[in-house]
Amino acid sequence: MSTTATTPVPSGTFARHSYFWRRLHSLTGIVPLGAFLVEHFASNGAVLSRTPVESYGNTVKFLNSLPYVLVLEILLIWAPLAFHGIYGLWIAREATPNNRRYGWLGNWGYLFQRITGAIVLVFIVWHVWTARFAGVSLPDHPFLSYSKMAAQMLNPWILAWFLVGITLVSYHFSYGLYLFAAKWGITVSPGARRNWGWICLIIGLGFTYAGIASALAFRGIHIYPMR
Amino acid sequence: MPANTVRLRIKRQAGPQAPPVWEEFEIPYRPHMNVIVALRDIAENPVTRDGRPTSTIAYEANCLEEVCGACAMVINGRARQACTALVDRLEQPISLEPLHRFPMIRDLQVDRSKLFNDLRRVKAWVPIDGTYALGSGPRQSPQDQEQAYPLSRCISCGNCLEVCPQYNTRTDYVGAAVINQVRLFNLHPTGKMHRAARLDALTGPGGIQECGYAENCVKACPKDIPLTDSIAAVNRQMVGHLWGKALGR
Repeated sequence: MSTTATTPVPSGTFARHSYFWRRLHSLTGIVPLGAFLVEHFASNGAVLSRTPVESYGNTVKFLNSLPYVLVLEILLIWAPLAFHGIYGLWIAREATPNNRRYGWLGNWGYLFQRITGAIVLVFIVWHVWTARFAGVSLPDHPFLSYSKMAAQMLNPWILAWFLVGITLVSYHFSYGLYLFAAKWGITVSPGARRNWGWICLIIGLGFTYAGIASALAFRGIHIYPMR
Repeated sequence: MPANTVRLRIKRQAGPQAPPVWEEFEIPYRPHMNVIVALRDIAENPVTRDGRPTSTIAYEANCLEEVCGACAMVINGRARQACTALVDRLEQPISLEPLHRFPMIRDLQVDRSKLFNDLRRVKAWVPIDGTYALGSGPRQSPQDQEQAYPLSRCISCGNCLEVCPQYNTRTDYVGAAVINQVRLFNLHPTGKMHRAARLDALTGPGGIQECGYAENCVKACPKDIPLTDSIAAVNRQMVGHLWGKALGR
């Protein structure tokens, strides 16, 4: 050890307070974004009804009837989404992956979490734009929700894009749950991480199934029994 | 290839700025030889496989029994200690590269100062200096001893840092070895007295938050230290510590 190399310490607000921002990033992924994902997938289950136009419309109508709905949307969805997405890209930029050399499972998980995060961000921005802002206003016309979404799903390319988005967001969220437990010191022992990993896998598969079931139902394909 | 020789491909670099070049060597086989023995034999007669005299290869090694940590390098694509890399168990030609994550000095020798500076940054020691004899410290429970021993086996070789995708100049991350030392010394009855200072140091730039939990460190550790447990355990200490700082203990 000949030299006392002085490594440049990253400066700037984000670097100096990176503990706070990293943990906020980790937390926003679970609450509120993960919690919203649960709500969103459950609400979309309304399409599994035998009368999907009414059920789906009623769900959209109910959600838009919530008091302070715009404040809730901004504070619980858009702001955390923008932060988690943009800061997530910043984190991904710092990565120096070495998967070809070290092909361990966790190392692939590390790489996929960054890749899926980027793809999911693109998907969500597109989805929010086309479903919430472009075209007919669903808060004003909730009972057009079904036909608006069904029109999208009729295009096989858009349907495929939805299936990709649903699968990747389910993966990103469930692996995020696994990582959250380690980063907040919940799963300290290898056994705890292994068990929690299995639970996260089941949660991820459950989300993927539920999301795909709803998307396909718009095409009249039912992989889940109609209610 | 005759069975009584050993072939090696070595990535060489004359200095930090020099371009890397691969050189191939073929040396006589010795029973039970390891990579350090091979490097020593090349040093005795630094001639490449095609008979061209070359400069001696710079490398670090000391204890030859996987205790000092000095001889970490990338052998056949994997970060490990050269002293415990037995030629009999390696596919030939054996490729040797320096660790990539540390500043290059020459050939297989790198500057691991950052690791030692980071250990200093987190006060990875037990404070005993004073103006008078402090007497014996509190006893450590057998349970804590049992937990501390595996953590204490760290040889500061840097293999966990070499395989870590977050250990780079962009993050300035301290890495698994340093976080494990924080866990070790926070467990020590006298070391506990610096617990808060160590945890504070780990919330600074390059602190524990930079861990991406790829879990490569624990796979690469030659001493089987439960590094991913240590990171999670220190994360737990951190939550309690910062909660206490914000709202009172």
